[in-house]
Amino acid sequence: MESRKYTLRIQRNQKQDDGSIASEWQEFTVEGGETTTILTLLESVKGYQDGSLTFRQSCRSAICGSCAMRIGDRTRLACKTHIGSVVDENGLVSISPQRNQPVLKDLAIDIDPFFKKIKEIKPYLLDGPESDTQVGASAYDQVNNVTQCIMCGSCYSDCTMSEVSENYLGPAALAKAFRFVSDPREGKKTERLKSLSEDHGMWSCVRCVQCVATCPKDVKPMEAIVKLRTRGIEKGFIDGVGQRHAMAFHNDITNTGDLNEFTLLSRSVGIFGSIAELGVAFHLMKKGKIPSPFPHKAEGIQEVRAMYKDLEENPLDVETKAAEVEPE
Amino acid sequence: MSLEFAYYPGCAAKQVQKEAASSAEAVAKILGITLKPMPRATCCGAVSLRESKPAFSLAVAARILTEAEAMGHDLCTICNTCLQTLNYANYRFKHEPEILEQINGVLKKAGVRPYEATIKVHHLLWVVTEQVDPQVLQSKVKKPLNGMNVAPFYGCHSQRPGEIFEARKGENVDQLDQLIRAIGGNSVQYDGKDKCCGFHVMLSDKNEMRTMVGQNCLDAKDSGAEMMISPCTLCDMAMGAYQGPAEKVMGKSIDLPEMNFAQLLGIALGVDDATLGMARLHVDPVPALKKRNI
Ligand code: FES
Repeated sequence: MESRKYTLRIQRNQKQDDGSIASEWQEFTVEGGETTTILTLLESVKGYQDGSLTFRQSCRSAICGSCAMRIGDRTRLACKTHIGSVVDENGLVSISPQRNQPVLKDLAIDIDPFFKKIKEIKPYLLDGPESDTQVGASAYDQVNNVTQCIMCGSCYSDCTMSEVSENYLGPAALAKAFRFVSDPREGKKTERLKSLSEDHGMWSCVRCVQCVATCPKDVKPMEAIVKLRTRGIEKGFIDGVGQRHAMAFHNDITNTGDLNEFTLLSRSVGIFGSIAELGVAFHLMKKGKIPSPFPHKAEGIQEVRAMYKDLEENPLDVETKAAEVEPE
Repeated sequence: MSLEFAYYPGCAAKQVQKEAASSAEAVAKILGITLKPMPRATCCGAVSLRESKPAFSLAVAARILTEAEAMGHDLCTICNTCLQTLNYANYRFKHEPEILEQINGVLKKAGVRPYEATIKVHHLLWVVTEQVDPQVLQSKVKKPLNGMNVAPFYGCHSQRPGEIFEARKGENVDQLDQLIRAIGGNSVQYDGKDKCCGFHVMLSDKNEMRTMVGQNCLDAKDSGAEMMISPCTLCDMAMGAYQGPAEKVMGKSIDLPEMNFAQLLGIALGVDDATLGMARLHVDPVPALKKRNI
C-alpha cells in the first residue's frame, strides 16, 4: 500500500474553570495509506506528537461503538473509516466530537443524554397481554436491522431534530422501540405505540434521512420510525398534529388527486391551531399565496378511487424486510 | 440529445409556490428542455401517505410513473419531496419485482396501464447542471451574478438516501454549487447546507421548526451569504415564509432573501420579474441584487 502524507484538522476542546469549553483547531501531519483508519492515525498523533489528545476507542472492529466522532461532513466510526475516503483534494480532513451531547475533552463527549433516551423507551421485553409464545422465522424481518445497533450515538449526533430539541427521543431510541413493537414476544405493543405517539416521540422526526445515511451498521432508524407511525395509526393513535397531517393525504388524493393546501392546515392542527398559524397565513396572504380551495382535478381520478377501494378490501403487505445478516 | 420530460411540478408548485413552476418552465424553455404536462397525475402523497397507507402510496406512485412511461419520457420534477417519494417507489419497483407485480395487479384492476419500471425520475436542477451543455448555459446568461455570495440549501429529500437517486450523476451533491458558479456567483460553504428546513414538522413541532430555519439562515449569513437558493418548493416555503416567525424564536433579525434555484437562474437568463414571481418572495431580493448591479 502506497504511503503518503495526510493532514488531520482536529478540534481540541478544553474545559475552563467556569465550566465553558474553549475550542480551537489544530493540524497534524500524519502518514498512512488510503485504507489506513482514522483511529490508527489518531493513535499515531497521540503516541508520537501530542500525548494529551483525548478520544475514545476500544474494540477497533466497529463493534463497541466508542469511537464515533465527526469526521468530515458527518459522524463516523474512527475505526471503520479509511482516511482515503474522507479527505479533500489537499489530503485534509476535519475531525471534531459528536454533536448534540456535552463535550468533555477534545473528541470525547458525555454520552449520558443519549443513553437516557434509550432507557426511556424501556429497552427490554415487557410482560403483558400481547405476548406471543410462537416466534416464526418472519419475526426477524423487522427486528434484524435494528438489532445491529451498537449504540455508538452517530445517528443522534447527526439528527437534525435532536439538534434543536432536547426532549426528542432521537433515532436510536425510536429504532430500538420499533424493535420491541415488532417482536412477537413483546407483551405491551399497543401501550408502547401509545406512549411513542406523544409529544417529542415518533411524530417529531423531520424525516431528513440523516440517520439512515450516517448509521455505520445499516440500522435505518428513520425507516423504523416510518413503520412505527404506520402501526400507531393502525392502532388508532391518531389524535396528534403529525398523525392528522399524514391522514389528510389519502383523502385528498382520492378526492381530487391534488393535495388541498387550503384545508390541510385546519385538518392538521384543528381550528385553534389554525388561528395560531394565522400569523404566518396573513403573511402568505399579503404575498397572494393563500392556496385555492378548489385545486384542479386530475384526469381519471376514478382510477385512484378504485385502487384505494381495492387495497382497503384486499390489503397488501409491502413493508420492507431486513436482509439476512451476514457477518462483516 | 433531446431533453424532453414528463413534467411533474408537485402540489406546492401548483398552489402556494407557483412562482417556482413559472420560473422553472421559463428557464427550461430558454435552455431547450421540453416539459410536457401530465394531465392524469395526482399528488405523490409524500412520506405521509407512505405512513398512513403504505401499499396505496406505491400504487399512486406507480400510476404517476406509468403515465410518464406511456408518454415515452423520463419524469422531471421541481420538488424535493416528490423527487424522493417517486424515486423511492421507483427504486423498489426496480429492485423488488414481486412488489411491482402486486402493485401492477392493483393498477390493472382499476383500469390503469401497468408500470414496466423503465423510466428514471429527474430533478430539473440535475437536468440543467448535468445534461444541458455547459456552453449552452453559459451563452444564455444575460445578467451574471457578478460574484454574489449565494448559499446553496439542498434540502434533505434530494440528497438522501443516496442509493435511490438513479438519475443523479455520481455520488456528489454539488449541483447547486455548480449552478451558482455557472451563472457568475460564488457558492457559500456553510454548515447548514445539507441540513433540514423543518417543513415536515412545521405544524407539530413549531419552535423546533423555526429554530431550524433560523439556524440555517443565520449560519449562511454568518458565512457571507447575500442570498439563499433551494431546489425544493417546500424548503422555499420554510426558509422563506417562515423566516419572519424564525426571527422571533431566534430573537434576531435574519433578512436573508431566499428563492427557488429556478428563480435565480431565471434572473441570470433575463426572464422578466412577473414570470419569476419576484413580488411573491418574503424577503425582498432587490437590495441584494442591486448591490451586485443586477
Ligand atoms: S473502537 Fe469500537 S467501534 Fe470503533
